[in-house]
Amino acid sequence: MKYARVYFEDVEVGHALPPLVKGPIAQIQLTRYAGASGDFNPIHQDEAFARAAGMGGVFAHGMLSMGFVAQAVTDWLGVGTVQKIGVRFAGLVRLEDVITCRGTVVAKRAAKEHEEQNLVELELWAENQKGEKVVTGRATAALLSRG
Amino acid sequence: MPIQINKSFKGKELPPFTVTVERGKIKEFARAIGDSSPFYLDDAVGRASQWGDIIAPPTFAATFRDESYDSGAFLRELGTEVSRLLHGEQEFEHRKPIRPGDTLLCRTRVVDIYEKTGRSGPMAFVLREMTVTDQANDIVAAVRHTTVIRL
Repeated sequence: MKYARVYFEDVEVGHALPPLVKGPIAQIQLTRYAGASGDFNPIHQDEAFARAAGMGGVFAHGMLSMGFVAQAVTDWLGVGTVQKIGVRFAGLVRLEDVITCRGTVVAKRAAKEHEEQNLVELELWAENQKGEKVVTGRATAALLSRG
Repeated sequence: MPIQINKSFKGKELPPFTVTVERGKIKEFARAIGDSSPFYLDDAVGRASQWGDIIAPPTFAATFRDESYDSGAFLRELGTEVSRLLHGEQEFEHRKPIRPGDTLLCRTRVVDIYEKTGRSGPMAFVLREMTVTDQANDIVAAVRHTTVIRL
């Protein structure tokens, strides 16, 4: 039932988003993301380049982690519901890291007029296997009403 | 001796460009994230959906770039290079779904450039906003990107 529709009435403030676990992060996934996104910064591919840049080795594209966080929202609330998603990249994701995307509902706003949508506001974060936050952010999703 | 960032880009528009959204690119992008939703990957599911086709994942607009524009030259004019860059923040605001075949106009403005000293030393922040419009001139998405430059 992964893609079952979630309605506005099904979601309450304080509800936790079902965690989405990604990884362990492998170099091949970073290479694949580079190709898919067009971001070929060698800092995500080339160990020697990343060390010379003072980064201590390759790390994942922030946008890959943001993609994980966005998937956690759409897996739960549905594809096409995300109106806004914004994140801050709080820490580097390294090879072998296991990333868990989490979130909670922080606000609900029912449509007042016919043209408006029912909106749900989420606080989001992703953490590595040590519990360190690597992404923090927020999203707004539009949900249909059962009525 | 920290590098000097050229702040004259603040407020400037970068050259506008258009992208045509490719079906295969949407699928490649979803698979690269490891997102196997049929609304991104399965044409039949897309056709039967409210959108009449597959749509792009929420962060797909990150792939919209001007292939004719030399981003290395932009970095040099800013006074930096790719090895000093970190991605600070990112935001997507969606008004309309992005579908295969959409031809979209992307206009980017350098909203702000400022410097700050953080835990890991002095850094410059470059905030860019890209507005994506479709052929009906409707806004499809707004994309905000904060680049951090290690000085």
